[in-house]
Amino acid sequence: MANEPVDVLIVGAGASGAAIAWSLLETRMRILCLEQGDHLADKDFPSRREDYELARYGEFSCDPNVRNLKQDYPINSKDSCITPVNWNGVGGSTINFLGHWPRLRPSDFRTRSLDGVGEDWPVDYHTLAPFYDMNDAVTGVSGLGGNPAYPDYTPALPPIPIGKLGQTLAKGCNELGWHWWPSDVSILSQDHDGRQKCVNAGTCDLGCAAGAKGGTNFTYWPMLENAGVELRTNSRVREILIDEDTGFATGVLYHGADGQLHEQKAELVIVACNGVGTPRLLLNSKSKLFPDGLANRSGMVGKNLMFHPLTGVSGVFDEPMKGHEGPMACSILSQEFYESDPARGFARGYGLHSGRSTTPMTYALGGYGIDNPIPWGAEHREIMDTVYPYLAGFTVVAEDLPEEHNCVTLDPELTDSDGIPAPKITYKLGDNTRAMLKHGEARAAEILMAAGAKRVLTKGTDDVWWRAGWHQMGTCRMGNDPETSVVNGWGRSHDVKNLFIVDGSIFATAGAVNPTSTIQALALYVGDSIKTNIATLFD
Amino acid sequence: MTNLFSDPERALLDAILAELIPANPDRRIPNASEAETADYLANQALANAGFQEQIRAFLSRAQSLAGEVNTDFVRQLETELPEEFSAVLTETYKGYYSRPDIRAKVGVGAHPIHPDGYPVARETPEFMDQLTAPVRARGPIYRDPTGPGGLNNGK
Ligand SMILES: Cc1cc2nc3c(=O)[nH]c(=O)nc-3n(C[C@H](O)[C@H](O)[C@H](O)COP(=O)(O)OP(=O)(O)OC[C@H]3O[C@@H](n4cnc5c(N)ncnc54)[C@H](O)[C@@H]3O)c2cc1C
Ligand code: SF4
Repeated sequence: MANEPVDVLIVGAGASGAAIAWSLLETRMRILCLEQGDHLADKDFPSRREDYELARYGEFSCDPNVRNLKQDYPINSKDSCITPVNWNGVGGSTINFLGHWPRLRPSDFRTRSLDGVGEDWPVDYHTLAPFYDMNDAVTGVSGLGGNPAYPDYTPALPPIPIGKLGQTLAKGCNELGWHWWPSDVSILSQDHDGRQKCVNAGTCDLGCAAGAKGGTNFTYWPMLENAGVELRTNSRVREILIDEDTGFATGVLYHGADGQLHEQKAELVIVACNGVGTPRLLLNSKSKLFPDGLANRSGMVGKNLMFHPLTGVSGVFDEPMKGHEGPMACSILSQEFYESDPARGFARGYGLHSGRSTTPMTYALGGYGIDNPIPWGAEHREIMDTVYPYLAGFTVVAEDLPEEHNCVTLDPELTDSDGIPAPKITYKLGDNTRAMLKHGEARAAEILMAAGAKRVLTKGTDDVWWRAGWHQMGTCRMGNDPETSVVNGWGRSHDVKNLFIVDGSIFATAGAVNPTSTIQALALYVGDSIKTNIATLFD
Repeated sequence: MTNLFSDPERALLDAILAELIPANPDRRIPNASEAETADYLANQALANAGFQEQIRAFLSRAQSLAGEVNTDFVRQLETELPEEFSAVLTETYKGYYSRPDIRAKVGVGAHPIHPDGYPVARETPEFMDQLTAPVRARGPIYRDPTGPGGLNNGK
């Protein structure tokens, strides 16, 4: 079945798909977005239920292999120490993301020149800065200006409260003379733009029922749908089609809500399926011209998968830290160890994120991102009474380096409910990352002690969090050289001139901060470049 | 209350639950049996055939063990049936802590968390100024190879 052709076809209605649609609105081109999931009404968010925590282990798990909903695709992570997590539906993973909103730093775009590792990006911080600002304005960002870890910028809204927990840890950093700053968050600290401010419920991973969190379900999509962008849900793209003569993409084949396979023609195809979904789709789009997957002449589609591996360190304090009061995302962020220092024995660096503590069930089951329940019996009682309420801690969030053997491929057997091959993750922790995490654990412990912790709890093993695959980057990286990269400096495929990629898969390196503000700034930059180059777009 | 378990099974399960999550009488926190976690487990078992098989195997082994239910008794089950034990423990934690009254007793709000959330006072700008003063006093800590400013002023 064929549908009427469109000018622009975007695959994926998450963070990046929404941002580029917004950027292209003013062109008055006919824009269609195909999304495999559906809208989710605010009333269906579990945090309105009494037993809301249960949803974290069922239909609202961040792990698609646990949720196993119709719109989810399974992910084979047997050969990985980290499993990717996401949400598939309108808003994409911004439905269950935590809204922590740091930007990449200028040095992140030049790791090869500065530190001899990773790759230099074909864009730089200052080129992206106006797009960060633009995206922040649409999203609603709270934070404190004047952070000496960045070139100057000031979030529009005042910071959310850092609370007892943040204040305590900040004092520890001050004691040591180390950097910290209240985290930027895409969470409203005051009512803004018709949206309600955050009520400090601490269940941001279960969807924000207040509308305070800057998921694209609350920010971009209502505007886009009002402006006439067509969002076709329950539509899963199977393959991007190619004209074997011209080498141009002609559109896609997708499984529609009616269960049938449809063809959708388009002048321009933009892929926004996240760092695992995008290489999966390209690798499944094979043709005579592209026998190894679409836009894959470099062989780099699916390669260089980067996460932000992390580990946690907690301190037990004398007073209750009230860690469950406030959004889950970071309260404060220390970037003292972000830049390279050869004396540390590893390249690049990491951030120390003060996560708030979780709710009792999640803590008892081992914490967010981990499946390792705390002990039962008398020890259980002791921990819940004398440890849990008094906890404050840091997660060490490491910069992963691009390594070709860390990759997304197609699983030979596993498929989704439409029979499309599932992605298979092959990933192991690099030595550089491992050294960084160890260093970070020790520094986090120092801050906690300086902040007055009675004792410090570490895992005592080398394992990283299993469900820490929140950030999926690098699998279709950008670069100037078509031999070593998949897209150019503004997101256009080197091989297929009317094919663009806008999600985190185009990151050349990962930085050590959450990626979404950069993903969206990049998507706006790609949109802007399309508009600027419109006359010669396909040359 | 469901009838998935016979009376002796239910009594045995309750005794084990009381060991898994004991009470804190000082703070009037009930144990997992008093919190009727067995009902939650029964409902889970009815909804999930895999879990039903596991809890049945678990109870069947428990019934065959001699002696009173105490820590050693439960430890033996954990050693002999690690997978089944782990499944029962996970569901026990889920059942127990999903009760709003239990949440409140361990210091977290009993209410459905939205729309009310928690009132948290915002720090004043003066307070934040004071707290961040040492951080600001050090000046920039970033390298900027592509612009002015930063640690080496763009060099
Ligand atoms: C639990 C959790 C916490 C997180 N916390 C943070 C945080 O605090 N800060 C931060 O910066 N980032 C965070 N992230 C990451 C953040 O959500 C992602 O970086 C961001 O959403 C990625 O944007 P995207 O557009 O690339 O992909 P997504 O937002 O995931 O959107 C991709 C969309 O594409 C759709 N799709 C995929 N394949 C197909 C197909 N074949 N056909 C049709 N549709 C398809 C999917 O259904 C999905 O809706 C978190 C993520 C999770 C899961
Ligand atoms: S804590 Fe704030 S941002 Fe998080 S879900 Fe609740 S209202 Fe939304």
